[in-house]
Amino acid sequence: MTNIDERAARPDSADGTDTPPLLSVRNLVKHFSKRGGAFIKHNVGTIHSVCDVSFDINYSETLGLVGESGCGKTTTGRSVLQLVPATSGTVTFDGQELVDLDQSSLRAVRKKIQVVFQDPFSSLDPRMPVGQSIAEPLQIHGEWDRSSGSDRVAEALRLVGLDPRFINRFPNEFSGGQRQRIGIARALILRPKLLILDEPVSALDVSIRAGVVNLLEDLQEQLGVSYLFIAHDLSVVRHISDRVAVMYLGRIVETGSKADVYERPEHPYTQALLSAVPVPDPRKERARHHIVLTGDVPSPEDPPSGCRFRTRCWKAQEVCAVETPALVDRGSGHPVACHFPEVADVV
Amino acid sequence: MTDSTLVITDLAVEFNTEEGVVHALRGVTFSVAPQEVLGIVGESGSGKSMTALAAIGLLPSSAKVTGSIVHEGTELLGLKDKSFSSLRGKSIAMIFQDPLTSLNPVYTVGWQIAEAVRAHRDISKPEAHAEAVRLLKLVGIPSADERANDYPHQFSGGMRQRVVIAIAMANSPTVILADEPTTALDVTVQAQVLGTLKTALDETSASLILITHDLGVIAGLANRVIVMYAGRIVELGSADDIFYRPSMPYTHGLLGSVPRLDDQGGTRLRQIPGSPPSVVGEHQGCAFAPRCPLRRDICREKEPELRPVTIRSSGVDHVDVVDGEHLSACHFADEVAAMDVASMFSDTSADYESGPA
Repeated sequence: MTNIDERAARPDSADGTDTPPLLSVRNLVKHFSKRGGAFIKHNVGTIHSVCDVSFDINYSETLGLVGESGCGKTTTGRSVLQLVPATSGTVTFDGQELVDLDQSSLRAVRKKIQVVFQDPFSSLDPRMPVGQSIAEPLQIHGEWDRSSGSDRVAEALRLVGLDPRFINRFPNEFSGGQRQRIGIARALILRPKLLILDEPVSALDVSIRAGVVNLLEDLQEQLGVSYLFIAHDLSVVRHISDRVAVMYLGRIVETGSKADVYERPEHPYTQALLSAVPVPDPRKERARHHIVLTGDVPSPEDPPSGCRFRTRCWKAQEVCAVETPALVDRGSGHPVACHFPEVADVV
Repeated sequence: MTDSTLVITDLAVEFNTEEGVVHALRGVTFSVAPQEVLGIVGESGSGKSMTALAAIGLLPSSAKVTGSIVHEGTELLGLKDKSFSSLRGKSIAMIFQDPLTSLNPVYTVGWQIAEAVRAHRDISKPEAHAEAVRLLKLVGIPSADERANDYPHQFSGGMRQRVVIAIAMANSPTVILADEPTTALDVTVQAQVLGTLKTALDETSASLILITHDLGVIAGLANRVIVMYAGRIVELGSADDIFYRPSMPYTHGLLGSVPRLDDQGGTRLRQIPGSPPSVVGEHQGCAFAPRCPLRRDICREKEPELRPVTIRSSGVDHVDVVDGEHLSACHFADEVAAMDVASMFSDTSADYESGPA
C-alpha cells in the first residue's frame, strides 16, 4: 500500500530548501478492532480508521486537516501524539522516530508536542484553579520551579490575552472562549514546537471564535510554533492554514498549498466539499453551482475497493473499483488521489 | 399586511425565575409573506428559538406571553391546547435541530409519517402508508417502500432529518419553522438536506422561517432576514440589505467575525468586545451599547426603536427601500449604514469578552 512517492507527500520540499520538516508522517495506518458478541466479546470486524496517510509539517507552519465526521482526522492527530498506537507507519518528529518509542522517551517528546481539544468545558478540571491547571505540565515534566513557576504561569496567561490576576479562579468563572484560551496557555507553557489543535473553535459562538482564531495566528507569529489544525469547518481552515490536506474515509485525497486546494481543487470530493460550504454573500451564493453528493459515507468497517470515494463519485469508472489511485502530483503541481483529476473552480 | 401568512405583533415572553424576571422576547414584530423564506440570525440566547416556539405554541406553561400571533386570520395566542393541536403539524409545522429526538425510536419511520397524515386527514391506514412512501420518495430516500419499514436508528443523520422534513410537509402546511435544521450535520449532508427543504417548499408552497446562526445558509436561502439580539429584533431587511448595507453595529460585527470560504487570505477577523448580555432584569438603553464601539450617551439612556433606515447617496437622503422595508434599531443607523466593519471593530487577539481594556 506504499504507493506514495516522496515528492508527493512533501509538496513544499521541492522548492530547494533542505531543512527536514518538523513532523513527517509516512504511510500511517490505524485499524481498530470492533468487539461484539452476545456473551463472550470477540473481534467481529476491523474499522479502517486511517489508511496510508502521509504528510509533513514544516517549522512555523499550519497544516489544516479537513474532512467530515468519521474521516479519521482526529485519529490521525492522536496517532501523531502516540495517544493511540499506530497499526503501521512512521511518525518522525524533529528527527526522532516516535512509533514504538518507550514510555520515558515518549514523555520527553510530548513536551514538544502539545494538544488542545474541542470542548473547553471538559478539558479543564473544575476543582482546580486555572493557574494550577496551567502549571501542571511543568510539574509533570519536572520543570516546576518554586521561585519562577508562578511567573511562568502568569506569563502564559498574558500570552493568551488573559489577565494574570485570574490565576486563582476556577474554570466555572470563565466563558467558553476564555476557557479555550486557558487550554491554549496550558499547551504552550512547555514551549512546544508543535500544537495539535483538534476542532479548537467549533464549540464557540461566532463573535468569540474570531478572537481565538486571531490569537492562534498571533501566537504562531510570536513563538514560531507549528500547528496541525484539525477541523471540519472549511472556511476557518482556509483562513488559518498554509497548507491543507483533505481526508475522506481514512485517506488523504488531496493536499497542497491553501491556494492549490481552494482555488484549483482537482479531486471530485474536494470539489463537492467546497461547493457545499455556503458563502455569507447572497448574490454570490445564489449564483454558485452546488455539487450535491448522493448517498452517505460508506462504513469504515468495509470501505469500498479501489478509490474509497467511487461509490459517490459522478466520474467513477471501472478502474476506480480496481485500482487505488495514488496520492501523486498529476501535472498540476499538487498531489491528488484520483484517476480522473480535473481542475474546477467551485468556491 | 393582510396578505401575510403569519403576523407577529409586539410579542413578549417572560419567565419568572429565582434570579428575577427573564425577558426572553421583547416587543418582537414581523410578518411572513406567502412562500417567503425569512431567516432569523443571532447568537445563543438572542431569542430566535423562543420566537419559533411561541409561534407553534410550545412554550412551557411558566412562560408569560403577551402580544399577538395571527396565522391566516386566526389569533394563536390564548388558543386552547386542543385547538392549537389541530393546527400544529397541519398548517404550521416545525423542524428541530436534532432529528433523533424528534423521531420516536420504537416506531418505523413509515408509521410515524402515516401518523402525522392520519392526525389531520380522514384516510385509511393503507392510504396513509402509501402517502408516507410517496413523501419519503419526495425527500429523496432511496428505495422508499422498503425504508418505510425501518426504524430511525437505521438511518443516517441526514436521512433522519429528511424524514422529519417529510413529516413537516405531510399536511401541506402554510408555514414551516426550521430551528437550526442543518447545524448537527456535515457540510455535504447539509447541502443535501437544504436541497430537500427547497423541494418541500416547492411542493407545499409553504413559507419558511429559517432559524440559524450560519450566515452562509441564510445568504443562500432567505429572501428577508431578521437579526436578533437580547430578545429583540435589531435589524430587519432583505438579504441584500443585511449583507450589503448592514445598519446596526451588531450586524456589522457579526458579518466581520466569520471567516469566509472565498477569502483568499490576508484579512483579519473582527471581534465584538464583551459577551452577550444577561436577559435577566430590566434593560436601560440599547442592549448592545456595552459592546458597541459607537455608543454615545443617548445609547445608555434610551432604547432605540426599530425604524426605517435612511441611506445618503449623492447628497440626498432617501429611505432605503430598494427591495422592501429595511429597519434598524440603532440611534445612528444612517451613520452606521455608511461605515465599514474595519472602522468599527478591532482585529485584536486579546480576550475581549470582559470588554475593551
